[in-house]
Amino acid sequence: MRRPAPSTVRWAMLIVLLALWEFVPVTGLVPELLLPPLSRTLAVLWLDRQVYLAALLVTLYEVVLSMLIACGLGILAGALVGGVTLLRTLLLPVFSSLYAVPIVILYPIFTAWFGIGPESKIAFAGIYGFFPVMLSTAAGIRTIDPQFVLAARSMGATLPQLITRVIIPASLPTVFAGLRLGGALTIIGVVVAEMLTASAGIGYLVTLNRTILDSPRVFAAILAILVLSIAYYMLARALESRMVVWQSAGRQGRAASADRRPAVPAPAAA
Amino acid sequence: MQHVANLSELRASAGEAAIVVDRLTHVYAGPEGGVPALVDISLSVGKGRFVVIVGPSGCGKTSLLMMMAGLRRQSEGTILCHGRPIPDPDPKRVGVIFQEASLFPWLTTLDNIEFPLSLRGTPREERRRRSRAMLSLVGLEGFGERYPHELSGGMKQRVSIARGLVQDPPVLLMDEPFAALDEQTRMTMGHELLRIWSTTRKTVVFVTHSLTEAVYLADEVLVMSARPGRIIDHIEVTLPRPRTYEMMATDVFGRLRDRIWQQIRKSA
Repeated sequence: MRRPAPSTVRWAMLIVLLALWEFVPVTGLVPELLLPPLSRTLAVLWLDRQVYLAALLVTLYEVVLSMLIACGLGILAGALVGGVTLLRTLLLPVFSSLYAVPIVILYPIFTAWFGIGPESKIAFAGIYGFFPVMLSTAAGIRTIDPQFVLAARSMGATLPQLITRVIIPASLPTVFAGLRLGGALTIIGVVVAEMLTASAGIGYLVTLNRTILDSPRVFAAILAILVLSIAYYMLARALESRMVVWQSAGRQGRAASADRRPAVPAPAAA
Repeated sequence: MQHVANLSELRASAGEAAIVVDRLTHVYAGPEGGVPALVDISLSVGKGRFVVIVGPSGCGKTSLLMMMAGLRRQSEGTILCHGRPIPDPDPKRVGVIFQEASLFPWLTTLDNIEFPLSLRGTPREERRRRSRAMLSLVGLEGFGERYPHELSGGMKQRVSIARGLVQDPPVLLMDEPFAALDEQTRMTMGHELLRIWSTTRKTVVFVTHSLTEAVYLADEVLVMSARPGRIIDHIEVTLPRPRTYEMMATDVFGRLRDRIWQQIRKSA
């Protein structure tokens, strides 16, 4: 028997999971208070669609702004720390160890400073996502093959040319990995912050409905967050594979080129 | 090629020499004071000559080459390239080809070859024309749109040679360009390099630790001692050109290779 393709298996797993979500509560194995059936969750989501859409827009607004902060400051700080030896020796250990601190403990202070509106979420999630972006940008710049720089210099590259033509493209794959992770962390940061102290947003809906024991509405909010995260992930992937053609080509291209291009005659030395 | 004794002789010979190195010494800063790396190197490379510098690993031959390229500063002594010092890289005078082909993985073959031209703002059409000409010179027509990871090691070095030649510098410096290749590819590439050299008539300074490669390629071989590096022998290779694989089996070839080996062994 032929093995099914991994994507088929993934879809099958998803369908099984959704089916379980629908039928396990119906059988009474799990009380509906703990797990309402999928159909009821979707029904509530449709019924309250305006509430959820409004909440999602608030969350999205906070996520976009905190991503801008995390990515902008992260790349800037990472470039400085990665590119300037003095800053690296001074700051990199500090940043690395700060990354290990559960920053959520600072959130109450943020609400005191910025209030319970979007500002505190944006500031908190921005900092939350900042660290992976900054650290991987620094790593991306630090781990550039020195041969690239030497070769470019031998061809007469000036410092600005070195930065734009060699250092930025060479560090792009690592930077993108950090952006993907940092972006995901800002979503987590915003939702967690909304769940802790807020007056709007999708995380707020989770907490609000949990306290009044309305579990279909809790799950509807969770579903909305899931959709948001998956959409983000797919967008980031698409953007990455478009920007870093040579790297994704390097990973998949080997197998592809082996069966696609046997007809091209290689030179004798190849 | 002769050892240059004093500055007036140096100036006199600079006319027909592509590269003149005069009493060059280099000392590295170590934890316990300076570590001498290169000691009292004097040499001159005639225009259009193929000169190979051979020596054991760590003798400083690569450093010497990087100094000729303007990529590194020596502690003492002067280097003249076509009569002028070379404090910074100058791709119009000197092309450098590195051990790792060091092609940029985010650029196609043609874009890699054009890179030095695009740095100085050569118009796109001229860039394409010149890079295509180089591509066919190194025998890679049809590979212009490939990325480096789609090329074999030998093909990458061909691209790297094309990139070194595209600005048409009179001098080509090559730092063990074939060291990472397997034996067969290495022989083929050596042969190819001689073919390209005979059509372009560049001055070539080629660094290697392979004795066979040195004798096979060179007009002249400079032998360097183990660290700290100094030049301990200068050998004129009298084998006729074009060189053929059969020459490697001749007595002359064997004697030359043996002489280099004896010199290096004595110095170690």
